[in-house]
Amino acid sequence: MDSLISRADAIQPLHKKRKTSHKPSNSRPKSKPNDSSSKTSQTDPTLSSIASHTLLPKSLRTSSPPPPSTKTYNHIPNKKLRSELTKTSANALRAKALVKDAQELLLVDEPGKMEVEGEMERTWRVGQEEIVQSVGGEAAKGRKELKLDGGSYRTRYTRNGRHLAIVGKKGHVATFDWQTGNLHTELHLQETCRDITFLHSHSHFAVAQSKYVFIYDKDGVELHKLKDHIEPTRLEFLPYHWLLASVGNAGYLKYLDTSTGQLLTQYRTALGPCTTMTQNPHNAVIHLGHTNGTVTLWTPNLPHPAVKLLAHLGPVTSISVDPSGGGRYMATAGADGMVKVWDCRNWKGAVRGWSVRGGSSGGTGIEVEWSQRGYLGVVSGGSVNVYPPAAIHTPHSNPTLPPLYLTHPIPHRPLTSARFAPFQDILTIGHAGGVSSILVPGAGEANFDSGEADPFEGRKARREREVRGLLDKIQPDMISLNPDFVGSLAPPSKLTTATDATLASQSKSKAGEVPYARLPRLERLRVSGKADETELHDSDEEEGEEESEKGKGMSKAEKEKKKMRGKNKSLKRYLRKQRKNVIDPRAVAVRKKLEHQKVERQKAKEIASGVREVEKPSALDRFKRAEK
Amino acid sequence: MVKISVLQHAPSTHLPLRPGDPTPTSRNLDPLLHPFARARERTRALNAAKLEKLFAKPFVSALEGHVDAVEVVVRRPASVGVVASGSWCGDIIVHDLAQRSQLHRLPNAHKGKVSGLCWADEDRILSCGVDRNVKLWNVGSSSMEDGSDAASEGPRPLSVFPGKTAFNSIDHHRTDPLFATASNIVQIWDETKSAPITNLSFPTSTETITNVAFNLSESSILASIGSDRTFTLYDIRTGKAERRVIMQMSHNSLTWSPTYPTVLLLASEDHNLYTFDIRSLSSPTQIYKGHVAAVMTCSWCPTGRSFVSGSWDRTIRLWEEGKGRGGEVYHAKRMQRVLATTYTADARFVVSGSDDGNVRVWKAKAGEKLGVVTARERAAIEYRDALKERWRHDKEVGKVSRSRHLPKPVYKAAELKRTMLESRRVKEERRRAHTRAGASLPKAEKKKAVVAEQT
Repeated sequence: MDSLISRADAIQPLHKKRKTSHKPSNSRPKSKPNDSSSKTSQTDPTLSSIASHTLLPKSLRTSSPPPPSTKTYNHIPNKKLRSELTKTSANALRAKALVKDAQELLLVDEPGKMEVEGEMERTWRVGQEEIVQSVGGEAAKGRKELKLDGGSYRTRYTRNGRHLAIVGKKGHVATFDWQTGNLHTELHLQETCRDITFLHSHSHFAVAQSKYVFIYDKDGVELHKLKDHIEPTRLEFLPYHWLLASVGNAGYLKYLDTSTGQLLTQYRTALGPCTTMTQNPHNAVIHLGHTNGTVTLWTPNLPHPAVKLLAHLGPVTSISVDPSGGGRYMATAGADGMVKVWDCRNWKGAVRGWSVRGGSSGGTGIEVEWSQRGYLGVVSGGSVNVYPPAAIHTPHSNPTLPPLYLTHPIPHRPLTSARFAPFQDILTIGHAGGVSSILVPGAGEANFDSGEADPFEGRKARREREVRGLLDKIQPDMISLNPDFVGSLAPPSKLTTATDATLASQSKSKAGEVPYARLPRLERLRVSGKADETELHDSDEEEGEEESEKGKGMSKAEKEKKKMRGKNKSLKRYLRKQRKNVIDPRAVAVRKKLEHQKVERQKAKEIASGVREVEKPSALDRFKRAEK
Repeated sequence: MVKISVLQHAPSTHLPLRPGDPTPTSRNLDPLLHPFARARERTRALNAAKLEKLFAKPFVSALEGHVDAVEVVVRRPASVGVVASGSWCGDIIVHDLAQRSQLHRLPNAHKGKVSGLCWADEDRILSCGVDRNVKLWNVGSSSMEDGSDAASEGPRPLSVFPGKTAFNSIDHHRTDPLFATASNIVQIWDETKSAPITNLSFPTSTETITNVAFNLSESSILASIGSDRTFTLYDIRTGKAERRVIMQMSHNSLTWSPTYPTVLLLASEDHNLYTFDIRSLSSPTQIYKGHVAAVMTCSWCPTGRSFVSGSWDRTIRLWEEGKGRGGEVYHAKRMQRVLATTYTADARFVVSGSDDGNVRVWKAKAGEKLGVVTARERAAIEYRDALKERWRHDKEVGKVSRSRHLPKPVYKAAELKRTMLESRRVKEERRRAHTRAGASLPKAEKKKAVVAEQT
């Protein structure tokens, strides 16, 4: 038969000898030419004849040598899996290095800053006039004062920071391009308006009016009246899920899918009217603040809050989530005059808290807002205070004020909202006299990504982004506190499969529960009578005696290590290392020999203790059958 | 002194210089600026999997011409899209797949059905039929004049090799002017001689040989399958049967792998396909389960990584070598029992011949787009493929890419078959549980397939 296929396997396997154990993979084939001279006899003639004429396809070639710190998976005996894992880790490292290189090239813009030189100088002593004077030019245009008489104003930016929507309590609504100053629309709705938010782009916005939520387009045309959202107080739009969340005086949290127009779910908070809502931009969880001082975290797939937290003694007036730390920190402000910073991974008490002057006096409470780079703006009484990121995050037990970065007084009380402009160093404050914006150097992220939010995007780019956003819309039931659960391993199932040997033997009466074909290999061998079971029993018996005395809390490896070693250690080790599912004549012989030795030892012991007497050699011994 | 700088985006770097220019894009790879990256990627992967299913239109065309069932379809060597097909009415047609036209038509090539067909070289076809003749035809470009000369009687064969019994199959030697035919024995013929030069048969066999195939690499090796549930290996150098394997059920088709010379594929009557490594014939290397009726035909992809099978259940299945399940299932409303399949040489298309007399052309990858693909489109396709590969373990993505639509009778038959096999298994295991321990041991499926191996 071999002659039949003599030519068939002319290409011999490269490594003919059977590998007993794999080598570490750091001996790359590239480093081989040095020792190839010594191995010339081993090279395959067929392979070498075609090697000069063939090339590895471009897609299969590595673009660069593997990074030096590539993790090797030498403990994995399966070659295919091992090389796959090594390749994956090398690729991950390569990608990381590439990203690092790319960051240097891509991040061209420098974030703004304000630094003092002398020890006695303070940044908060610098007023807005001085900042405006020193920066000058285009940047100074960020400092604006809009005098409006529509009541107290609330503001909202689009995600790219280009457009601003403002709404006055008395029903004055306006949206405009913040940079050029072009007014898109201006509406006088003649009724109480409590909040405003842009939808996926500046072309649509939703206004929380006295009775319902209304959606308008860029030109101010009323598109939808959302009758399900009754007496809304706050609105939030989750851009990647296309969900508009609203909460109202009745205390119902309602989710509307803006891509389909369906009301997704509504949850009764049962905590009374709610006037505080914010979203965590990194996991799309809605944070609500209630009048009894609790903060609740909601996802659309849970009928109860994911987290419920007593944050303040008195109503919660404002919540903000830190975008710079991946949604890790949350700041809350209450009518008790306190501002608290919380760690969202560990709810055991606030990271730090401090009381703010004039919190409860101004009619409405304190407003907090976090900028993209982690500056915390606190609007209270008649002034705006901004705190730098590092100081706020460090845990502090005493209710002391963190170091101040910048402060600015505003005479028009009450101050009702504060918003940082994304990708700009601007903080916009809405108040009773209109809207004013101040410059906060260092607040905005310097480098934007055109794929996500681009302040300079044109009409075509916006359309493209809208379509892509719709295609990539994440299903609402994927919202959870940990956004990284997608694509990670599922937790181990609590249901057991009865493939275990013990279980199988227990449930013998119910034969056929686990098909033979689905049993693990060793089980299959055992069932089909090919596993070497004598060996297993032997080791069990030997270990059983020792286990009963000591070694109860020891692991298997420890037991193996501390096992009593007698003579014939090598033979026993040989047996132990033998594969248990193969009947090997040598292993059988060794086992027999060991047994024989054991009997001999037993005999010798008995003779020594006098139980047995020494067998005297007799003349008939020659006819005894020789024992092996 | 206080140093103050405020962030300022220069519009000149972010806006197009002239109207009509593309807007410059900027990138920031900070993961904080890309929230929900994983969830969005999964959505994209799910969409990619769905879109692939949505736009999967595997059927390309049906080539008409035969008035009865198509028994055999063979590809011309060294050409991409030329196939010859023989039918039960005795016609042979050479199709050009690219033009969807008939290059040659040999009406009434045989009396009764054309049971076997193979290409002797690029221009000549060997055919055999149940009329006990083997005929050699010229279908090259030069034969056009001959055809016009004898238009009244139709084309004439170059030579006729008369046999004693009806032939079931024919295959040509890879290099030499030899061919093998299958009837009640295997016969080796020389193209220049009118009588067979060798008769090959296993000493004790009295069976009908249904299919015969030369190995492509070790070209003097020959394999045949017989009605006695056997397949046999011969060597024409020694002139005798070397090895015979008896299996549980008889086979309908046999092919050698084009890239692994020792690998043999069998299409069996028991709804399965088997690959064997002829170095160890004690058990198949893989069983391919999926069809719900006898597999009538099988054919390897030229790459040797996959193969196609056609079945009595009116479906065509595509398989990966070494993967016993999964793969595409092709079916058409009017397609009847599939009797012949072959791949084109570029491995992009599958050609099938069926009982309804049509030769059908299918894509080898159901979701592939035909026609010119621009670079952007190519990049998008590759990205989608990478996404599907990366997220294949995700529950929903995997479910979408695994599920296939089956015709209702096939679906019902599969359900019934599953029930029957399951109850058989349960019965066997119960019986085992109530016999003396060790008296009857379970046997792996692969070990069950081979009944005996004979030399």
